[in-house]
Amino acid sequence: MPNSLLLRWKYSILLLLFCIPLTGVYAQGITVKGKVSDDQGQGIPGVNVLLKGTTTGTSTDGNGDYTLAVPNGSGTLAYSFIGFVNQEVPINNRTTIDVTLASDVKALEEVVVVGYGTQKKGEITSAVTKIDAEQFNKGNIADVSRLLQGKVAGLSIARPGGDPNSRSAIRLRGLSTLGANTQPLVVIDGQIGADLNTVDPNDIKSIDVLKDAASAAIYGTRGSAGVIIITTNSGEVGPPQFTYNGFLTAEDPAKFTPNMTADEYRALGKGTDYGASTNWYDEISRTALSHTHNVSLSGGSVGTTYNASLNYRDFQGVAINTGFEQLNGRLNLVQKAFKDKLVVNLNLNMTKRTGQLGFPEAFKYAAIFNPTAPVRTTDPLYDLTGSGYFESNFVDYANPVAVMEQNTNDQDLKRLNITGSAEYEIVRGLKFLVRYAQQHVSNYRWSYFPRNSFHSRNLLGVSGFARGGFAYKADEESFNQLYENTLSYSTNISALNISGVAGYSYQDFQNKGFSIRAGNFLTDVSAEDLGTAQDLREGRATADSYKNGSRLVAFFGRLNLNYNDIAFLTASLRREGSTQFGENNKWGMFPAVSAGFDLSRIIDIPGVDNLKFRASYGVTGALPPMSYLSLPTLSPSTSSFYAGNNRYLPSYGPDKNPNPDLKWEKKAEFDAGVDFALLDNRLTGTADYYVRNTSDLIFNGTVPVPPNLVSTTWLNIGELKSSGFELALGYDVLRDGPFTWNSAGNFSTYSVTLASLDPRYAAPYVGATNLGTPGQEATQITRAVRGEKIGMLWGFIYEGVDEGGKYKFRDLNSDGKIDDNDRTQIGNGLPKFEFGWTNTFKYKNFDLNFFIRGSLGHDIINTYRAFYENPNVASSYNVVNSRYFNPAITDGQIFSSLFVEKASFVKMDNATLGYNFSFPKNAAFKTLRVYVTGQNLFLITDYTGVDPEVRYSDNTNQLSQNSLNPSPTDSNALAPGVDRRETWVFTRSYTLGVNLGF
Amino acid sequence: MKRISLTKIFTIGLLMMAACTDLDEEDVLYDTVTTKTFYKNDQELLSAIGGAYSNLYGAFGSSSHIWPAYEVTSDEIVVPTRGADWGDGGHWVRLKLHTYTPQDPVPTNTWNFLYRGVNTCNRVLATLEPLGTDVSKAYIAELKALRAIYYYWLLDLYGNVPLSVDATATEAPTNSTRQEVYNFIEKELLDNLPALQKTGPADEATYGRVNYYTAQAVLAKLYLNAQVYTGTPQWAEAIAACDEIINSGKYALMANYRDNFKRDNKGSTEFIWAIPYDEIQATGFTMPHITLHMASQAQLNMTAQPWNGFATVQEFYQSYIDPVQNPGPQGSVIGLDPAGTPTTGTVDERLSNFIVGPQTFPDGSPVLDGGADPADPNGPPMTFTPYINELQPNAWRQSGARIGKWEIYRGNNGNLSNDYAIFRYADILLMRAEAVARQSGNWNDAYTLAIVNQIRAEHGGVEPFPAITEDIFLAERGREMFAEAFRRQDLLRFGRYNNAWRFHPADPSPHVNLFPIPENQINANQKLKQNPGY
Repeated sequence: MPNSLLLRWKYSILLLLFCIPLTGVYAQGITVKGKVSDDQGQGIPGVNVLLKGTTTGTSTDGNGDYTLAVPNGSGTLAYSFIGFVNQEVPINNRTTIDVTLASDVKALEEVVVVGYGTQKKGEITSAVTKIDAEQFNKGNIADVSRLLQGKVAGLSIARPGGDPNSRSAIRLRGLSTLGANTQPLVVIDGQIGADLNTVDPNDIKSIDVLKDAASAAIYGTRGSAGVIIITTNSGEVGPPQFTYNGFLTAEDPAKFTPNMTADEYRALGKGTDYGASTNWYDEISRTALSHTHNVSLSGGSVGTTYNASLNYRDFQGVAINTGFEQLNGRLNLVQKAFKDKLVVNLNLNMTKRTGQLGFPEAFKYAAIFNPTAPVRTTDPLYDLTGSGYFESNFVDYANPVAVMEQNTNDQDLKRLNITGSAEYEIVRGLKFLVRYAQQHVSNYRWSYFPRNSFHSRNLLGVSGFARGGFAYKADEESFNQLYENTLSYSTNISALNISGVAGYSYQDFQNKGFSIRAGNFLTDVSAEDLGTAQDLREGRATADSYKNGSRLVAFFGRLNLNYNDIAFLTASLRREGSTQFGENNKWGMFPAVSAGFDLSRIIDIPGVDNLKFRASYGVTGALPPMSYLSLPTLSPSTSSFYAGNNRYLPSYGPDKNPNPDLKWEKKAEFDAGVDFALLDNRLTGTADYYVRNTSDLIFNGTVPVPPNLVSTTWLNIGELKSSGFELALGYDVLRDGPFTWNSAGNFSTYSVTLASLDPRYAAPYVGATNLGTPGQEATQITRAVRGEKIGMLWGFIYEGVDEGGKYKFRDLNSDGKIDDNDRTQIGNGLPKFEFGWTNTFKYKNFDLNFFIRGSLGHDIINTYRAFYENPNVASSYNVVNSRYFNPAITDGQIFSSLFVEKASFVKMDNATLGYNFSFPKNAAFKTLRVYVTGQNLFLITDYTGVDPEVRYSDNTNQLSQNSLNPSPTDSNALAPGVDRRETWVFTRSYTLGVNLGF
Repeated sequence: MKRISLTKIFTIGLLMMAACTDLDEEDVLYDTVTTKTFYKNDQELLSAIGGAYSNLYGAFGSSSHIWPAYEVTSDEIVVPTRGADWGDGGHWVRLKLHTYTPQDPVPTNTWNFLYRGVNTCNRVLATLEPLGTDVSKAYIAELKALRAIYYYWLLDLYGNVPLSVDATATEAPTNSTRQEVYNFIEKELLDNLPALQKTGPADEATYGRVNYYTAQAVLAKLYLNAQVYTGTPQWAEAIAACDEIINSGKYALMANYRDNFKRDNKGSTEFIWAIPYDEIQATGFTMPHITLHMASQAQLNMTAQPWNGFATVQEFYQSYIDPVQNPGPQGSVIGLDPAGTPTTGTVDERLSNFIVGPQTFPDGSPVLDGGADPADPNGPPMTFTPYINELQPNAWRQSGARIGKWEIYRGNNGNLSNDYAIFRYADILLMRAEAVARQSGNWNDAYTLAIVNQIRAEHGGVEPFPAITEDIFLAERGREMFAEAFRRQDLLRFGRYNNAWRFHPADPSPHVNLFPIPENQINANQKLKQNPGY
């Protein structure tokens, strides 16, 4: 454990102790004085000093000094303080006794937040990792998940490319569910199912990650992909504390898709030379400057504590005209009453974010736009829209500068979270808690393609030029409310501590929204007024609106037994029901049991300070990705039909095959782990092995037509089996002395297999994805095959080119022809293992921290190459020319293993050098820290694309990526490993920051 | 230990009792109806029946499924790979080469389209049958006939398909034989004919819907191709079915061939069954998208960019302009050389089926394609040439005669408002002419020759043939029926589907005469047997 954490813990205890009236001091006999210090010679405030066998005692003052009157000089003094080994010293008639207390890692128990409660770290019997703010990733990070990237063994977080508005993919222990959410459940200060980015990174105190099913099972239905519990900063009793954190960041593109320069393109001689030389990447990118400011105020007096903060972020993207501006305010208020028996808590959180999302396809167009074309032209042959931008009529092709400069794609995001809770201690140890929470998110979208905008393959698929300007307005609202009661009890029966919690949880969800698409404006100026779109008068505008909802109801309980901190047992059960299942399958039962045994408490093994073995088993569930799957709903067809007399009517028919038998997807997981501290606590670590089985996978599976109406149905289709190993180690390389060095790392590996598929319904494979437009639509490139590992990339095996420049592929069945039977596995999109490695150095007031992260063993389909690395595309497009480029090819593009690359990488995610100024006690400033951080300082990889980050799922729908309720069919978790051409560029950034406390 | 007060227990109990455990999903259903809440009045019932028809919108005259299944596999139409475009994993080329596979999208999507139609009919029939009213009985006959039409396409394309007629069935069905499917279609049509309305082509009561004559047209198709389907010819029955239509006196050839395909073609006297498309209300006739060039967008002031795909096979275009194949008035026509140089040839009025030659704006100025292929002799001035340099991978972007049969009017949005005739009177006449010739074994049967020459004169404005052969009859049928989704069936009936033609070498095996059943159906339904050869 880092020293600073230890100090913080000590001081908070100290503060508490000041509030507790101390028992009397006797003024007779002799008086013993002394100082209690730690092993560094620092005085320890608040140490209990007790005359053994009596109630006579005192505690040390702020400097660690104490004075105690004792009846005579023959007694023994007992010194105790949390975090230190107790010590007993005979008085032997001395009047001055100085004591040095050794720190005790065993006793210094971190508190870990678990579902519906907290536990001492030593009591934890399942796989839970706690990450404190100190350990977070550094730099310009606005997305909360990236604070954790690489920090937790088994938690994979990826955000390829540098799009500031994109979300990260989060996977815990690989793929564990095909259901509602492959991303973990997020709980913020007790609010279940909150949006991870509701809180600003500055306001987070710690994050706990519940990894195994036993720890997540108390959250039942939504725990299959793990649980991330966020605890925000709260106030402490004491004078008001102001802090200011601010930083400035400069970010640059660091890697582009390799393509031909104008000269290279000319030399190739296969395309049209327009005479100019343009570097399209330079034209659409920039050095992005961002700044972030956080002001917080916290404090409290007896009974009341508070913490309020304000965060402002102005974040520029490296692509021109992109970025966001965000203001976040938060208030955390705690009021105690009735002799502290009643604790009322109020948490308010508001975020407003205005994003300029831009158009990721601009990077694609920059890669393929003719490098000999000028940005602007007056030649009517190329100024196709009268905008002055050079344009050409090729498929999926537009001037990237025009794309970014002419068109609008904006978002206004508002998040409002309100949580209130009241806890009352009925009798000692028995507490009743009521919690109510609301989360409201609104997402306002605005896109406009002006009258002279040529770009047609945009998120709306319509060019402004053709439509007299084209506008899109949408508003999405998502709302949920949570109501929970819990009753908790804790008591000791001799050496056995028993605690338990039981409760009821109700949560309902509502999504609603509308959108309008309309074009044909007389002038671009009025476009924000959709009423001026002539499309509306002509019946060409389209509108869309929806409202849907669901409910979850649960009863749950947990029992914890702790025998003298030696043996631990936890059992929990959640019975949960959801509206989203068929009539007879609404309720699911999610049990868990786990046990631990701390060997070091009973056997003294040399060099071993702590050694706890634990094992757990639990079942979690997953919801279907949308409501009404079991109901026979009817929808109007996209086309109306002719109903006579010049009247068209919409035809109502089933919009799906309803599945009244749809039931819970369940994940059963066994986890065995060991926590240890060795070599005088210098080496600490945790290792976990797990095996899990997800059954009744919920998937949109292929069904026969007939008898079904449509060819897919949401079904429980099969089983995923996975196993994995995780290891986290920390080592104090240099602990004593002015120069300290701590090195901590984690390592994880897993394998996920599609163990079975229901043979009644499904093909031997599912989850295929295609390469896509232009020209490679029916080109399957991934699949998940029964009995095989998830993440399979699929295609021909490339074996070079023949003399004529035609591709040669391996004829697997030797039948003399290359056809579908010759396609096979040509890679795997999921990594073999992942690691993160942090090093922290401290010397006097300086500190240096760097973090290196890697994923190894995964492959990526480089779609840039699969589409454009072929000299024959030069007649339309610029050519991608990585080191695999072969100018001799005469074939069209045929997908094969040629475009699958090993994508193992090691990145230096961030490195920070900081300096903490020292101030005298009475200075205006209490703390001042100045630091510089570099992000993505290096990247080692063989991958030729821009970012070798693992692609955990395949999402090709641009509009849905920034939607609150993306369609579940837009993201394919069974098709990892596809680097789509919408990826931004890899970026590098430098941040200069200051933390000020006063 | 202190005792807990009753009030506290009561309070806690109350809070716990607030516990709601109601999980009825209908309570949280806000924006859509279910079968429980629909079918409450006549309009809702009509809307339900409409589902069996709205399925057809987007099927014909688009690249979706059934239309390319009939056309791209034939000698009429080709979708060349134009550089990076239309490669699509090679499936368009496979349609052309007859190397289509069970994974390919066209066989898969056509199957899904046809069975969605069958299933919708089954489902609506199950709703209607208990009603027992006169209105519902008329609808039942209509829907059964429509279901028979969907099965006719299944029979024609896939042969041994499962017969699913019960909406409540949940068991996956097995294949029926082609004979069984044939028998089912014949019986369903004959059984329901009496209840179908004998309305004419412009009657609003049945426009766009299946009436008596639609059912006769399908029967005629069924009988004309009976030899292919079952091995037993049914020429007399084919003639009788055609006669029911011809002798009704409700239909006539349009004086102007092109009026069958213009924007406002509703009520054409040739329409036996049409899909009444509308570019806003009832979309899916995406001919401008699939055939025109990107630069056509500006030329036609289109609100969407075309995709530059479907074109005519050169020899098919040639069959119109070649004075030997098609004697008639000579004039300037676009030639077959790579530049599409104007030459002298037969000016058949039905050349309006194609868009060829230099493309111009209304003011006569050329449409320019700044991205013309460097090797294309025409360069930027956009010229559609009947000549197509290659099937793949680098067919020139401007090459290929485009499909202009249906008027592509200015300002369209990529979807046409023209109605699409599935069965047309000229086809009925030609079917009867063919059946007569086949029955008598004489292609120069007086009736046959008269019909061929009537159509040549009235629609083509070209000279009559003194005598014809089977080949000439097929070529004339082709000129008249180009792109109307019959060519694959015709080539099969004339025994020419496996022959070699441009871009298509001779088929090594006739198993391609039936489409493969989609792989995902075979996988999902283990009782289903694949057609032989796949």
